[in-house]
Amino acid sequence: MKIVVCIKQVPATSDASIDPVTKRIVREGSKAMLNPFDLYAVEEAVRLREQAGGEVIALSMGPESAKNALVEALSMGADRAVLLSDRAFGGSDTWATSYALARAIDTLGGVDLVICGKQAVDGDTAQVGAGIAAKLDLLQAANVGKTEALDADGITVRRMHERGWDVVRLRFPALITVLKDINAPRVPTLRAARAARRAEIPVWHPADIGADPGRIGLRASPTQVVRTAPPAARSAVTTRIAGAPAEVAGELVRELLARKLL
Amino acid sequence: MGEAVGPRSYHIEIIPPKQDSQKLEADLELFAGKFERVMESGFTASITDNAMGLLAFQGHECIEELGLRVRPEQVLIHLNTFHTKRNLDEILEACGRLGIRSLLAISGDGSPRLPRLQPADVEAEGAPAVTSVELIRYLRRHYPEFAVGAAFNPYEPEAHEFDKLERKLDAGASFLITQPILRKNAVVDRLLAAHPEVPTILEAWMSKKLYLLSDVVGYPIPEDAEYDPFATLEQLQATYPQCSFYLSLLGFKTQYARIEEMAGPARAEQEERL
Repeated sequence: MKIVVCIKQVPATSDASIDPVTKRIVREGSKAMLNPFDLYAVEEAVRLREQAGGEVIALSMGPESAKNALVEALSMGADRAVLLSDRAFGGSDTWATSYALARAIDTLGGVDLVICGKQAVDGDTAQVGAGIAAKLDLLQAANVGKTEALDADGITVRRMHERGWDVVRLRFPALITVLKDINAPRVPTLRAARAARRAEIPVWHPADIGADPGRIGLRASPTQVVRTAPPAARSAVTTRIAGAPAEVAGELVRELLARKLL
Repeated sequence: MGEAVGPRSYHIEIIPPKQDSQKLEADLELFAGKFERVMESGFTASITDNAMGLLAFQGHECIEELGLRVRPEQVLIHLNTFHTKRNLDEILEACGRLGIRSLLAISGDGSPRLPRLQPADVEAEGAPAVTSVELIRYLRRHYPEFAVGAAFNPYEPEAHEFDKLERKLDAGASFLITQPILRKNAVVDRLLAAHPEVPTILEAWMSKKLYLLSDVVGYPIPEDAEYDPFATLEQLQATYPQCSFYLSLLGFKTQYARIEEMAGPARAEQEERL
């Protein structure tokens, strides 16, 4: 079975900043991490490979530094990784990104299952997985909270929604996006982490995936970010109440009552 | 615990490389250098387990992967409750393979990235969650070859902490390590009086950045607070001659040689007593 897991490097939530001119998230030079939802996607891909055999290919699009996210996926058990990186991809919105990733998946060939995290925590759109499925004409299930069964022809999953869940059977080739409920991502071993850091990660450019230059990058993106702002800083104040235990407890209760928290 | 808890032996804290290290090989080299130096000095390498909830590699895998020579009495592996059962089994098997004899069982600092042992994993189905007590009991039941230590926090409400201590001792803890103390501490005095038979290791804070301890001691310490780690250590050693010391955040480049000097006479005294 050939599984592609699409992952994204995102700014570390404690270190995100926004370019005041372009209004886009500053990625270069910022502390970055693997998108948290993608950890679950990688883990599920590795578990399915362990169950059914085959290979897991981690795929990402981004600057050269995005290789770190791919190294993490390799540390967790992905067999190989590919990075799409080129200035021509820069500024791609979810439509152009899903086109580029779909082209890469098509180039890899013979892919049975594509797994994505539910969404990336920087853009929060949850559109790329669905976009890939649409462009490759794959059956898809979003918000998967559990894999129920797997065989050579397809996968049965539990798709979560507001009123509960459905059990859905998807014939391969298919795409799923996964929630955090689906598994507990493994912590890489040192041996795997060292091997991953030594691995060659090929970088693919638009020509390598047969991408139409008119469908990638900022100019080919139908959506434009016109304004972005960081969330307002939270103002937390710590109050220490000193005194004998009974006095402290009394004061705490008075404070909570005054704030209508009790 | 063996010789590692004898009078004036030092436990040297070693923090394994972080999982997200961008210079892993260099960090591993540093780890190896520190570990080997501690082995040569006759001290105990006390290796942390995802300290502060920050993802790091495990001590046993660093030792195995780097092929470091273990002196069994001189290694203490910290083991917290933030593992899968499979990880726990792997850690314990590796410690056994390496001849390591001592573990420090602690509840630990979690993070969203770390799984947590479930009560059934440690045969504690009746417990609402796995704490160090359940972990100690499980280790003693299935791995009696290890001496298992527990933590003691003199900054927690005292009655509560002593109650937890009794449960840890009842579960099988055979030595204790405290949180950092900065001077003679009345709670520690009561601990030593209550349990003179239990080897107790006092943590001495070796960083000059005392303010980092604010959350531990429960009151704000100003960033510019002056602190002399060696003066504190010497004072603690004079106050608690029966205890050994856990040196946290010790600077290997700037402080280690002095610790070796300090240990020299103490070790000679110890040998004389023996």
